[in-house]
Formats: sequence, structure tokens, C-alpha cells
Amino acid sequence: MSNRAAKSALYSASPTGEEDVVGGRKATIGEILTSEKYFKWTLLIPLLLFLIAFMLYPLFFSVYQSFHIGGVVGNATFVGLQNYVELLHDPDFWVSLRRTAQAVVVCLAAELLIGMGIALLWNRDFKGQNVFRGLTLLPLLVAPLILSLVWNFLLEYNIGLVNQVLSAIGLGRVKWWAPNIALLTICGITVWQWFPFSTFVLLAGLRGMPKDVFEAARVDGASAWYTFRRLTLPMLSPLIIIIVLLRTMWLIRLFDPLYGTTRGGVNTELLDWMLYRTSFVYFDIGYGSALAIISLYFTIILCAIMFRLLIKALEATK
Amino acid sequence: MVKKILFWLATFLVVFVVLWPLVWIYLTAFKAPADIFSPNLKNQFLFSVTLENFARLFSAQYGYLQSLLNTIIVSVVSTAFVLIVSLPAAYSFARWNTGGGHLLFTTISTRMFPGVVAAIPFFLMFRNLRLLDTHFGLILLYIYFNMSFATFLLYGYFREAPVELEHAALLDGYGRLDVFRKVVIPLILPGLAITAIFCLVWSWNEFLFAFLFTREAAKTMTVLISSFWGSIEVQYGPMAAGAAIGALPTLIAAWFMQRYIIRGLTFGAVKG
Repeated sequence: MSNRAAKSALYSASPTGEEDVVGGRKATIGEILTSEKYFKWTLLIPLLLFLIAFMLYPLFFSVYQSFHIGGVVGNATFVGLQNYVELLHDPDFWVSLRRTAQAVVVCLAAELLIGMGIALLWNRDFKGQNVFRGLTLLPLLVAPLILSLVWNFLLEYNIGLVNQVLSAIGLGRVKWWAPNIALLTICGITVWQWFPFSTFVLLAGLRGMPKDVFEAARVDGASAWYTFRRLTLPMLSPLIIIIVLLRTMWLIRLFDPLYGTTRGGVNTELLDWMLYRTSFVYFDIGYGSALAIISLYFTIILCAIMFRLLIKALEATK
Repeated sequence: MVKKILFWLATFLVVFVVLWPLVWIYLTAFKAPADIFSPNLKNQFLFSVTLENFARLFSAQYGYLQSLLNTIIVSVVSTAFVLIVSLPAAYSFARWNTGGGHLLFTTISTRMFPGVVAAIPFFLMFRNLRLLDTHFGLILLYIYFNMSFATFLLYGYFREAPVELEHAALLDGYGRLDVFRKVVIPLILPGLAITAIFCLVWSWNEFLFAFLFTREAAKTMTVLISSFWGSIEVQYGPMAAGAAIGALPTLIAAWFMQRYIIRGLTFGAVKG
């Protein structure tokens, strides 16, 4: 598109709204695309194309497949709601759903508590604060898969550093990948990587709070706990909801740390792992699609609820 | 005084817990197998430095260099395309609220759309189009994967850019396209750079799509490293060496972007 065409598009924007005609002749496509009326849509064309191809298509395809069986080779057979009915009677599904919920709750609670504790600890000016801040943020951008492999190594029963240290100081080795605690171990790895996220979101909130309110509370003789509960916590609530919202979105989709550690074994199969196993190990596309649609449904409901909470919290603090 | 000591104890404990596993990657990478597999704690710390693991990692048998190149190609090209798609879209959303918020919400909801869900239709489609195990296929997936994130983050930066400059440029006779190219984009260049780095990091770290959609030719770094933790044999040495190199760019990015990480991770909601 030439500069001249772009410039003339501005002049062509007449108040009567007859943008399509320039000086008595028909406007070129370039002129229409950059005209006042259509430019905002022109900018969106690439995104819309990608949304259609990469969101609408897979969605419709998944819905279609979930009513069929077969289809990897040969034609798919229509079976109605059979996949969904089977899924709702599948104990594996309910177990992995419950585990996913457990993992989300455990990780979120731990991240928020640890995050809040450290945010309160560091809510002051101290020597080298920027260095400590930078160091604590380091694991956040490292690939979760790499970190889970490293933790797998650290927690190995015989040669893992953690167990070697535990045994050296007389506490005895722990079977971190025993079926009853393996899921908690995976949660621990996730919390380790992500608590700095909560810490620094909350710290940003604490730093931005008006000083005078806290000064007044102190003068009035309010206890530290009372101030925290009645002043700090309500003011932080939008940030807490943002953390809960974003982390839930990511935690529901927990997959990489499973691949780096238990590979869905020892009672750690979460929703996405079950999806992977059904669709890519057993190639049961119909069943996998039904699972995918239900999983998506849960996610959207959860996020919609939290968006509403977020808007409420934002209004309450205004 | 006691309070001060407790504060520093807690602070160092936090940093130690965060950093130790990362330090351990780099220590293990330089250890010989005998030291790695030694049940004696002393050998874990007093070891002779060796480059053996790196030598094995880059040998023809493992092909780490090729996987690293694959990751670089896919990350850089997909990030470039993400910016081409997201930059104009974010500007449109920020300046005209195009679609009344619904379109923006639809865009962001691709992030909720589980990767594994999209993986099934894409897998069948890619199989028919012969895009499995190709760079191009993976690039397409990463554009999809990063598009919504980039649009949202850039949206925040466009919202902060002063609209008066645009009006002035329009009055001076600039067309909309020139205003966008010559006035608005230079204004948000820092935001653009931050967004680009985030997209690079996400593509660099991505595992699920790479694992499902590549076999040999386009295998990325994360997929290769994951294969060291196999069912037959566990190779901690090459794994640690691979992790040491694979994690390095992201550690550097985290260090230099520390002021922007929180903003990026919250899609621009928290300024940090």
C-alpha cells in the first residue's frame, strides 16, 4: 500500500459518510481499507482469520467428533450422546477431575499463603532489595518441563540430593513418588516455581497503598492483625482474585510437570493427562473430544464466575 | 536487632530455596556419572569438573544442536508472525474498542481453550496436510498459542500511549496507516520489545505441542531433554547439561526483565 493512497484516504473521509468515492471515481481497495470507517476492521483481519482457523474450527470439530466414534482411519460413525454417557459413568474421569480440583486448590492456597507471607516480609526498603527480587523471579520464566525434570532428579530416592541430605541429618529418606504423596510432590514443584508470582503481585499492591490510612489506624491503636484483616486484605482483594483467576486457568491445564515426573502414574493422572492418554495413546478421538468439551465447559464456567468476582472486587475498592 | 536478624534469615532462606535447584542444574551438568550416581553426599559437592556431559549432548547420537536450532527457528519466526497479527489488532481494540469488548474477550479466551483439546483436530488436519514434524506446522501452533497473550499485553501499552499525538499527526495530513506506522508504533516500542521477549520465552519453553506434533526433523529442545528421562535408562548427566543450556536464555530474560515480568504474566492487569 503506498503512502499516497493512505494519505488520500484521510481526505476522502467526508462528513456525509461517502467514503467509497474519491473525487468522482470509485475508491481503490487500499483506500477503502485505510478509510476512517473501515481501518479499525482492516487492522483486525489477520487476527480474525487466525481466530476462525485456530479456534472456531477446532471447537466445531471437537463437538462433531464427540458425537462420533472412529475417524482416525476411515469414516466416523455417529453415535449420539454415547461418548458423553460413557464418560459420566467412567470412574477414571471422576477421579482425575477430583485430583485436578485438589491440585488446583492445594497449589493456589500454598502459593497465596507463601506469597502473602513473603510480600509482607519484603514490604519495606532494605539493602539489595532489587537483587533479591530479581533472584526470586528467576524460576518463573524457565520451562516447567525442565524444572520438573530437575526436581525429579533432586527427589530421587537413592541419589537425589534432598534424600541424601535428609538421611545425613538423620531424618531418613522419603519416598516422594509413593502413590499417596506423588500428587502433593508435583504440587510442591509447581508451588516452588510460582509462589514468586503471588509474592510480587501482592507486593505491588502493598507498595501502592495509601500511607495515611495505615498511619491513622496505628494512631488509633489498631493491632497489626486487625489492620491486616480490615485494611490490607480488602484493598488487596482485586489482586488476590487476579492471582486466583490466572493461576486457576493455568493449573487446570497442568501437564508438563507430569511428563517430567510420574507420567500420569502413581495416582497422578490429571484431566489433561487423561485427555492426552485417551486421544494420543489410545487414539480414541471421539471419547477424547467428549472429555475435551466437558473440560472446556468447566474451565469457562469457572473463569466466568471469577471474572464476575473480579469486577465486584474492583467496584468495591473504587 | 533480633527482628533484623530474623528478617535477613527469612530473606536468605527464601532466596536459597528458590535458587538451589537452579544452581544444582549447573553443578550436575559438570559432574561425571560416577559422582552423579554416588550415594555419598561428599561426592555430590567435591567432584572433579568435566565437560563429558556436554560432549555427549552435542554428539551425533543425541543431536542437541539440531533441536536447539529447531527451537530457535520456531520461536523467532512464530514471534515475528504473532506481532504482525497482534500489533494491529491490539491497536484497533485499544483505540476504537472494536467489537464492543466481545471480540477482545473471545481473543483472550483462546488462552482458556485447552491445548490438548485443540491438539486433536490439529493433529488430524496436520496429518492430512503433511504438516506433522515440520517447522511450519509448529510455527502455526505457536502463533495460535501466543496470539491472545500478545494482543492483550499490547492492548495495555496502546491504551497508555497519548492519543493527542495521533490527532496532531492526522491534522498534519498523515493517513491512518502512516499514523499507525510512524507515530503510534514508535511510542510503544518498549512495550513491543517486552511482548516479543515474552512470546520468545513461551515458544522456547513450550512442550505439549512440540511433543505431540514433532518426531525427528522438527524436534525441539524441550522434547529432546524430556527423552533423557526414559523408561529404559535415565541419563541425568546429559539431561542436566541440556537443561543448563536450555534454561540459560530464559534465566537471562528473567533477570533483565524483572521489572516487567509481573505485568507480562498478569496480561497487563498488574503494573508491578
